[in-house]
Amino acid sequence: MASVRKSGGDNLLVRYIILVSWALVCVVPILWFLTIGFRPRTEIIVPEPIYWPTWSLDAWRLLASDWPIALYLRNSILAVAGSVVIDLVLAIPAAFALARYEFKGREDIGFYILSTRMMAPAIVAVPIFFLFKNIGLLDSVWALMLIYAAINLSLVTWIIRSYMLDIPKELEDAARTDGAGDLTILWEIMIPACLPGIITAAVIAAIFAINEFLFTLLIASTSKAYTMSVALANFTGGSDGVIYNAIALVSFIAFAPILILVILIQKHLSRGLTMGAVKG
Amino acid sequence: MAHLSQRLEKGAAKAAPAAAVYSARRPRSATAKKMFPYLLVGPAVLYLLAITLYPGLFAMYQSLFVVKFVNWSWAGLGNYTRIIQDREFWAALGNTAIIGGLSLSLQTIIAMTVAFFCYRDPFVRGWRIVFLMPMLFMPSAVAFIWKLAFNDGRVISDLLMSVGLASNNVDWLSSVWLARLTLIVADVWQWTPFLFIIFVGALQGQDEEIEEAARLDGASWSSIFWNISLPMMRPIIVVAVTLRGIDITTMFTNVYIMTQGTPGGATETMSYFIYRQGFRMFNFGYASAASVLMLLITIVIAQTIVRRAFKSGKS
Repeated sequence: MASVRKSGGDNLLVRYIILVSWALVCVVPILWFLTIGFRPRTEIIVPEPIYWPTWSLDAWRLLASDWPIALYLRNSILAVAGSVVIDLVLAIPAAFALARYEFKGREDIGFYILSTRMMAPAIVAVPIFFLFKNIGLLDSVWALMLIYAAINLSLVTWIIRSYMLDIPKELEDAARTDGAGDLTILWEIMIPACLPGIITAAVIAAIFAINEFLFTLLIASTSKAYTMSVALANFTGGSDGVIYNAIALVSFIAFAPILILVILIQKHLSRGLTMGAVKG
Repeated sequence: MAHLSQRLEKGAAKAAPAAAVYSARRPRSATAKKMFPYLLVGPAVLYLLAITLYPGLFAMYQSLFVVKFVNWSWAGLGNYTRIIQDREFWAALGNTAIIGGLSLSLQTIIAMTVAFFCYRDPFVRGWRIVFLMPMLFMPSAVAFIWKLAFNDGRVISDLLMSVGLASNNVDWLSSVWLARLTLIVADVWQWTPFLFIIFVGALQGQDEEIEEAARLDGASWSSIFWNISLPMMRPIIVVAVTLRGIDITTMFTNVYIMTQGTPGGATETMSYFIYRQGFRMFNFGYASAASVLMLLITIVIAQTIVRRAFKSGKS
């Protein structure tokens, strides 16, 4: 008991048993799914699972020949990037107002913005479907862009607001005595000073947009506007059943950029995921 | 909200003096100064109102009709009286609570345990990356991973048989609890990292001196955790678990890909119920009534739990 220990958990053996087993739970399914991407179709849905694959490039051939992966990738990138831009344009001024100005109803407006994050997509799915049907935007990447922007606007606003609250007031006061106006202060002081927060918000919003499934499924009713996330579900049905090797391959194509983005903002991740409520 | 939008319109009407805002040095009228924050926050609020208020009102309106493709016939509160007697609706509510509640409890316990054992480990940075991985997959991909592991590829059955926990192939979709278990496993696997990252960050951010002092007094790590770390983390835990809980109640993708509500509706969540009524059976009025009821529940939860969580979370 009296010996000095360096870390949480009294017993090293217990600690490493727990950590290693959870690491295996996390990593083994991923590695196994990676092998699925390199198997022939005949080896996946079988009565007895085959653990060691006979390597094959079937899935690559399938993707290259009769599956317009470039189109879905383009849709994903366009809709996601566009939505993040809309979010930043709307959220930065809003966050600035919520963080720096006293005005009537500020608390309520801030909470209203936050509360849109609580809404289940399914609640507005039917009306949104009719809305876009009526304005003729079904099957369009623009519709997805608008929806993704709405889904993430609350998150982006609150994250940036939290970073703005941390910026020392003295910076602004000094600028004000030099005669800077409000917009100058936003543009030349606030935005540069909370750039990490803005980048964090953009990355997290992008990930949520890439993942979005339900709206995309409904709005992109023919495959013209499919994104990667929904195109995956398209590998099912038909006489072939689920084409798992293609699904696995596409999953990893999408996984790589997300991993890079997340490592980029690793320090800010928990603050971003809790919308700025936790100073990680 | 109504008075706010009125005020925003007034602000738009006063656009002329507000234009003075854009010049840095000219002295401004008091009204323009007062309006300025509303101009900043206005566009975001209007955008969100368009995407929440309009659908909300539309759903309320549509829920009063029986919709058959393009024919809307007035039904009054008929959809609501039917839905309150609909066993499937209550089952969907119950399933959402059961599956969500179990998932959330498991995720919280696992995330906290793993965070506690690794936050002072010399390799904590490496562990963090490893434990984060499942969260970085698209949810639709994760649903397929587990669909294959449980049902189509029979991998889990095979593993259970090889350690003697099962005597033959398990049909995961044939039993209520086994089917729910597959959804819970998929959700726990993908989203435990979310809570873990937040918890481990909170533990690492603690003041080390307090721990050192307690340790010199001979306190064990676990007693330090229960008596010092956990109380300190409370607001953070509340915020993180609340956010995760909200997302769990909207569970759709896993149900759509893995179980489609089988067996006999035992895995049908609220989101899937609305989707099936609307987009599979084309009972749009009925689906809208369910949406309105779910919206009411959401508003109550948001106004009580979430508002409090985010007030206390200002740590």
